[in-house]
Amino acid sequence: MLTLAYVVLIGHLALILCGGFITVLAKSLVRALTGLIMTLFGVAGLYFLMAAPFIGLMQILIYVGAVSILIFFAIMLTQASSTGEEGQKQRRGKVKYAVMASLAPAIFLGLAVIRTAPPGNLTPQETSVKFLGRFLLGPYVLPFELISLVLFVAMAGAVLLGFEKRIPQAGLETED
Amino acid sequence: MTPLLIYQLTAVFLLCIGLFGLIWRRTLVGMLLSIELMLNGAGLSIMAATQLTDTANELGQIGTLLVMGIAAAEATLILAIILVVSKRFGSVELRKLTSLRG
Repeated sequence: MLTLAYVVLIGHLALILCGGFITVLAKSLVRALTGLIMTLFGVAGLYFLMAAPFIGLMQILIYVGAVSILIFFAIMLTQASSTGEEGQKQRRGKVKYAVMASLAPAIFLGLAVIRTAPPGNLTPQETSVKFLGRFLLGPYVLPFELISLVLFVAMAGAVLLGFEKRIPQAGLETED
Repeated sequence: MTPLLIYQLTAVFLLCIGLFGLIWRRTLVGMLLSIELMLNGAGLSIMAATQLTDTANELGQIGTLLVMGIAAAEATLILAIILVVSKRFGSVELRKLTSLRG
């Protein structure tokens, strides 16, 4: 049973690794989005492995179902095609900065995790959704209401930005 | 390698690959993809930190749920911003998003 769990874990890790690299390195943005979806499914699988099926389902529902569709709309509406800038060769020396920027937190956080992580228990307990709901409306009611406020403000802001009228840029188009 | 360590290192990997993509990508949409990767890593880290230790499980689950909510809000807002930018500049490529010339 334990070996099976490790096989599933390694499979999902491979999914996350491949998806991550596809997301950042793919030439076409649609392909990159597919890589992101792969990663999201891998993370959802890890949630299931940690005995949190509710959060795993939420991950699939919110990320794979909503956020990736949103990003797909962004790709379509802006015509960010593969023939554009994204498909061309990168400037030399940029990879150096990118690798440095990503390795700095990797080394610090990785070492911190390796040094200080407690052994941890192998079999996580499942929390019932009923209890989660009670917890959310009991001690955690303030963050719950705040996140709803944040979502509302974000949605209202998105609508407002979408309705933006074409304001002539001050000083440029008004003079002639 | 305990499972907790594996999960946390996976989260660190997601953070790193997200940061790498943030610099490597040259369009706003590509950067949005990288940000989603990083937020996913944050959720995974929070979840593993409570689910695999003695901390109360519900804290991590609700925390991950809140991270997902923030990610959804952020994606909505960034989509709107990208649309406005592409309407105004005619492109979402970073090199063309400059008003000043010189």
